Amino acid sequence: MKILALFTIFVLISGVASTSLVNDAYAQNDPNILLRIATQADKQILNQLDSSFDDSIPPKIQKLYEKGHTSVESLKNSLPDNIEQAREDFLSAMKSFMQITKIISEPVAEVKLATSDISDRDLKSELNRLDKYFQSLKTVSEKHNTGIDFSEIEQLFTQAKQQIDLGETREATQTIQQLESSIHEIKKKIRENASNSSSDRIKKFASKHLIKIQKILDRASSVDSEIPEIEKANLLIQEIKTLISDDNISDAKKKFGELNKIVKIIEKSIHQ
Amino acid sequence: MNPQIVPIHRKESLREDGMLFVRTEGILDTMVKLPLLVASMIIVAAVMPIQSSFSSPRILDLIIYPDGTTHVSAKVDVDPLATDYEFDLFGNTIDNFVVVGENGFLLNTNVIGNFAIIETFGSSVITIEYDIYDLVSKQGRIWTFSLDAPSDFTLLLPKNSAIVGMTNLPINMEIINDQNQLTLSVGDTEIDYLFSTNPVVTNHVVSDISILQTDYFTYAIVGGIVAVSIIGIIVIIRSKQKTVKPIQIQQSAQKIETIDAETIFRLKPDLREDDKEIVKFISNNGGQAFESELRKKFLQPRTTMWRAVKRLERNGIIEIEKKDLQNLVKLRKNMEKEE
Repeated sequence: MKILALFTIFVLISGVASTSLVNDAYAQNDPNILLRIATQADKQILNQLDSSFDDSIPPKIQKLYEKGHTSVESLKNSLPDNIEQAREDFLSAMKSFMQITKIISEPVAEVKLATSDISDRDLKSELNRLDKYFQSLKTVSEKHNTGIDFSEIEQLFTQAKQQIDLGETREATQTIQQLESSIHEIKKKIRENASNSSSDRIKKFASKHLIKIQKILDRASSVDSEIPEIEKANLLIQEIKTLISDDNISDAKKKFGELNKIVKIIEKSIHQ
Repeated sequence: MNPQIVPIHRKESLREDGMLFVRTEGILDTMVKLPLLVASMIIVAAVMPIQSSFSSPRILDLIIYPDGTTHVSAKVDVDPLATDYEFDLFGNTIDNFVVVGENGFLLNTNVIGNFAIIETFGSSVITIEYDIYDLVSKQGRIWTFSLDAPSDFTLLLPKNSAIVGMTNLPINMEIINDQNQLTLSVGDTEIDYLFSTNPVVTNHVVSDISILQTDYFTYAIVGGIVAVSIIGIIVIIRSKQKTVKPIQIQQSAQKIETIDAETIFRLKPDLREDDKEIVKFISNNGGQAFESELRKKFLQPRTTMWRAVKRLERNGIIEIEKKDLQNLVKLRKNMEKEE
């Protein structure tokens, strides 16, 4: 028994220690990336200052840039030995550059991206996103053996891509709209098809879950049989069983929601 | 104080052989409790990772598209005994929401504001995918991505984008299809980026080459044009060389007119050592030099050199002229007279 106790303690300690070790190693993954990012940012900021101010950089920005640049230089010197200093230098440099970008962008109002707000729509991005969405649905459809034909949609994707490449914005926008409605229809079909398999899944789940709930109710009755919710819960269990046997899954799901709420109340009153 | 109450350890003394006798009831009690203790520790050890995994996504991948829309892909461990799972979204303007169970089956969802209720019904792992418009904002040329991440995550930035500021340390960075992919840690993250135009030029070059390889006739025409233009340039340069000579003479005359470095140092004794070096260089360069030449010579960043030049201008040592969109720094000729 003593050996078992010692073994358990050892497992717990080594488990905690190993996770902390893993985190440390993960956090120190190639510190040279800090230098790569900071150097790239330094160059970009300098280009931005050149294009925005030429040689008449405002003193405030000048000071910030010098601070950031000095931190990048210090970062170069800190690597590879002084990782802690390198991290500090990186954050300091990026903070200074970030402050510069905020000042440079100040006169222009912030644009929060939203579907309707995008005036100059990036059709290529829209098409790529739509393609990703379509691929997810296609995989699901194959899993459900829906037998849906995707050739028309795939043709529309090719057409939209060609239109974008040729700069035919209006036509491409129309094709993308067509694609959106077609994909919406497909999702509807998949959902209808999936409802059959999901009802089997729910039936299996329900039979397992109801046994578990029945045990909780039995335990609650032995502790305090006067709890009013126990009777309600027992009635709901009977209702759910009947609904499932009648293949009325949607109503069974609703009753399940009610039952779960009541079981939570019963569990609370047992522990009080 | 009650005199009858005496601590046991004071009442009993150690025997001569030094043997210690201890009550056995306590040991027996501990022996009975030990299995319970061990069992509870094992349960705690087993439950700890499950609890932590239910609270946050196991995998979280984000892709930013060039228009600032972000694609979110998350894999979450859920309680297989629960009927549904409430998932926090990163905003409320979302599109293309799909949730799939561990067997690849589509799960029913209901999105309400910033969260989605997913009918898991026995699933233990779910995959959630959606596009969101709330994570990236744009100010002028600067795009800002901000997120309070519930777990470590990867972020794929758009092509040709360059990071110009960030608030926390990246765990890793990789290049995937010419795009930067950062691995970032849990918590608040803000990244500023902008689009760099350089790689676009490379693409043009590539496409030009491919055209030339496929069409030899075009190649011949382009080659001919290039040859003619080179000949033309040579002819123009040769014809201009005759007129250049008097200017060179004029320039050498100007060199003689400029004030020498030593005189400047005498007139301005408080000059900084680094500024003196710049003055010496300009003086040795015929009294004038481009600011870019000074930067190359002294290996200084653009802004540092610009400040030095401005300082010398304020001191009345130099004057700045614009020439071919560059700053030409000249030593002032009439400095001695002014003094």
